[in-house]
Amino acid sequence: MIISNDVSLIYPDKTQALIDINIDIRPGELVYITGPSGSGKTSLLKLIMGMEYPTTGSLSVFGKSINNSRSGNIRKIRRSIGPVFQEFKLIEGRTSLENVMMGMRFLGAMPKQMKTSANEALEKVGLSHKKLSRVENLSWGESQRVAIARAVARKPSLILADEPTGNLDYDNAINILGLLKSFMNENTTVIITTHATHLIKDEQNATFISVDKGRIEIERR
Amino acid sequence: MRSFLFNIGYFIKESGRIIRLNLLSNIFSVIGTGLILFLLGVVITGTDIGNRLVVMLNEEAEVNGYFSLELASEKRDALAVKISNMDGVRSTRIVDEDEAKTRMENILGEEAKILELFDDNPFEAFVEIRINVNAMDSVIDNVKNTAGIEYVRDNREVLEKIQDITYALKILGYLMIAAVGITTLIILSHMIRQGIYNNKDQINTLKLLGSPGAFIGFPYVLTGILLTLLGGIIAALSIALLINGAYDSIGGTIPFLPLPVREELIDKMTLWLPAISLALGFFGSLFGLSSIRERR
Repeated sequence: MIISNDVSLIYPDKTQALIDINIDIRPGELVYITGPSGSGKTSLLKLIMGMEYPTTGSLSVFGKSINNSRSGNIRKIRRSIGPVFQEFKLIEGRTSLENVMMGMRFLGAMPKQMKTSANEALEKVGLSHKKLSRVENLSWGESQRVAIARAVARKPSLILADEPTGNLDYDNAINILGLLKSFMNENTTVIITTHATHLIKDEQNATFISVDKGRIEIERR
Repeated sequence: MRSFLFNIGYFIKESGRIIRLNLLSNIFSVIGTGLILFLLGVVITGTDIGNRLVVMLNEEAEVNGYFSLELASEKRDALAVKISNMDGVRSTRIVDEDEAKTRMENILGEEAKILELFDDNPFEAFVEIRINVNAMDSVIDNVKNTAGIEYVRDNREVLEKIQDITYALKILGYLMIAAVGITTLIILSHMIRQGIYNNKDQINTLKLLGSPGAFIGFPYVLTGILLTLLGGIIAALSIALLINGAYDSIGGTIPFLPLPVREELIDKMTLWLPAISLALGFFGSLFGLSSIRERR
């Protein structure tokens, strides 16, 4: 599903974000990308999302090359991804429901079907009662759940969550990780970045990619 | 395509939101576009009337060929027929001495008394040749070289001026259309760019979610078309008012002015200006949208 061969990423300011990355992530896997702040976790997600191109090496997502792909091809790949951004990237001035539907509008679904999927996703994240609230009036935690609902309502093959436990206390962080894991199935891979390794130390049936100074180590449990 | 059809309501709502987001600026843009299109309407109307005037003057363009005095009447008729068959000649007609005198009396009016001082009619018969202005030079040459014609009196200066006026009106029309087109495109593309800038976070999120560029851009195209169309409607209404007012005041005062039928002109303008505004809106929006294309 995601295969990289000797991928390196150097930013225009010469910062070497990733060095010789070799990964092979398969469908239905649960993957944790861990490492301290600035280690390269988000850079790795950016590569998978096509927000950055590898400086060297090759990277393919869903069998399609990311290297210097045209924007149209990158967006096609993104349509199969459900991203949960660190800063959520919800669209202000819209309700939770509208935000969730926004992620599906260009996927060819009928309006009624879109609305049903969005309502179901909001119900799964426990926000049915806030579906008509504008997102700027939601709490931090509620906004995060809307972002998760937007990601999963699209029924993606890959869910990417960037630091979803970032500002949460232990209980809420465990809840969010549990919620994200609940969307994993044989067709849906979930990749979560986190620097809070204590939250996942007992995790089994998962792949752990530890990033440090741009280099990775992979452990499968 | 399916996504587009399913989202028509969304696009219209988005378009309304984009307009509301910068309402005052958009209102002024609509008024500005309306005024520019109004000026275009004035030029088109002026060109239309000018063209009619030129056509009318063209139809009146004539040169006069004078016969040898000893030419018999039948030969004069044959000569007129011969000239009428030349390229660039619309028609010919023999004007005899009496008619020539009557015409001069009409021109002189009260001063025609001066003609009574002559014992005999001082005017000569001639062949009046209505010509096509564009073929003026060749017609004059051909008539001059025709046996039986002694000399040709032409009003070349007047005819050349008519040609110049026609040319100038056409150039002015083209310049005005170009000016209106370019100005509207620039105003509109800036309007669209402003809208894109105001919504850059939303656009960026949509891109990250994989939205196609056309899906992101369509509400902006719709906005551009809507705003320019409003400008076009304002211009059409204004020009209709102007035409009505002008016909009421000028029509009676200058009866010889070859004005088109009022209703026809108003119908033409109220159809053309919104149609032009639609086209300008579409292309201006695309021009403005080019700033968000090809970025991941």
